[in-house]
Amino acid sequence: MIPAAALLGCSAPAPADNWLQLAEVIRIFLSLSLFSLGGGNTLLAEYHRLSVEEYCWLSPTQFADLYALAEAAPGPSSMIVGLLGMGAAWREGPLWALVSAYGAELAILFPSTLLMVVACLSWNRLRDSPWRVAFERGLGPITLGILFVVGLKIVRTSNHGLSAYLVSGVVCVLMLRTRLSPLWFMAVAGALGGMGVIQR
Amino acid sequence: MALSPRSPVPPGERLGLGPVPSHRDLFFGLLQVAMSAFGGGLSAWSQRIVVEERRWMSNESFLTALTVARLFPGPNQINMAVFIGTSFHGLSGALVALAGMLLLPFSLLMLLGLVYFQVHQIPAVDRILAGVVAAAAGMALSMGFKILHTYWRDPVALALAAATFVAMVVLQVRLVPLVLVAGPLAMAWYWPRTPRQGEGP
Repeated sequence: MIPAAALLGCSAPAPADNWLQLAEVIRIFLSLSLFSLGGGNTLLAEYHRLSVEEYCWLSPTQFADLYALAEAAPGPSSMIVGLLGMGAAWREGPLWALVSAYGAELAILFPSTLLMVVACLSWNRLRDSPWRVAFERGLGPITLGILFVVGLKIVRTSNHGLSAYLVSGVVCVLMLRTRLSPLWFMAVAGALGGMGVIQR
Repeated sequence: MALSPRSPVPPGERLGLGPVPSHRDLFFGLLQVAMSAFGGGLSAWSQRIVVEERRWMSNESFLTALTVARLFPGPNQINMAVFIGTSFHGLSGALVALAGMLLLPFSLLMLLGLVYFQVHQIPAVDRILAGVVAAAAGMALSMGFKILHTYWRDPVALALAAATFVAMVVLQVRLVPLVLVAGPLAMAWYWPRTPRQGEGP
């Protein structure tokens, strides 16, 4: 397989050594953890920038695929980070890819988990603190803005043809207007894709 | 008062509740939540299992946990598990609860990921994925719209959101510097005017 880096011209050179590569993956996700506002989805555009544009772990298509995979799989959000870690080390073989995947997920969860433990233990004092109120009200609108950035980024990465944009638009409306499980939308769209209706 | 590891669940409140869960109970309880939620609805399943079935905490404590989980950085469901674990056994409880919540779904997804990297170049697979990806993108697009109504009557909030959007899309400002600059400014604007003010804007 041709390394993505050779095709896309990355801004960051690939580390020479597997361990250095792993350390870099862990460092990147550790440093982003505390910025995962709004349940963590705010980080998706940053994940795209890092894994596709800066480090070239993935092609844009692969990123879109992994996002869909993580959305379709059951479980808490943020698990896409494991897939990104896997992509970062895929060239070194499946074993390193798995190590990198677990490392990346632990890295993104570790700082926010520690903060959560502190928050839980001191919640009785935090609850009425003006800091808590200001944080909640102030960061809310910023989160809103970022979520729209993320939506736009994912839509543009995922779609290239009119039919694909149409499917995204319809799913967006259905997500807001119905309580159907999104798995249905992905199943139907997957079938349409299999029939060649949706191109990318 | 000094920090108490039981702060969210005061001893008096345990009337009518089950015994304090051990580390083992925490792990398997949250494993059960994760497995039950394989069709979706993680939050509802946590409530059903943690509050109704196992009676670890009152509904009120559960709602507090949910509030804190949403407020702080990190995935809500993970934070929720961490809060529950911490309430009973501090940091070690948090780690056990986190493992229970995450181990199974994460390992499953990684298995899927390994398969994906092996097969994604097969044309038939790629065609199906093209459709799935378009649907997933629609889901991503809906995230912002879903919480838009919360801010609909607050022009400052909408302006902040719009400024954030323009800064990131047009001016290409990155997430971390943006949050570090805009966050404190927004917090200053929304700083409660009187110490006891609790109602929304």
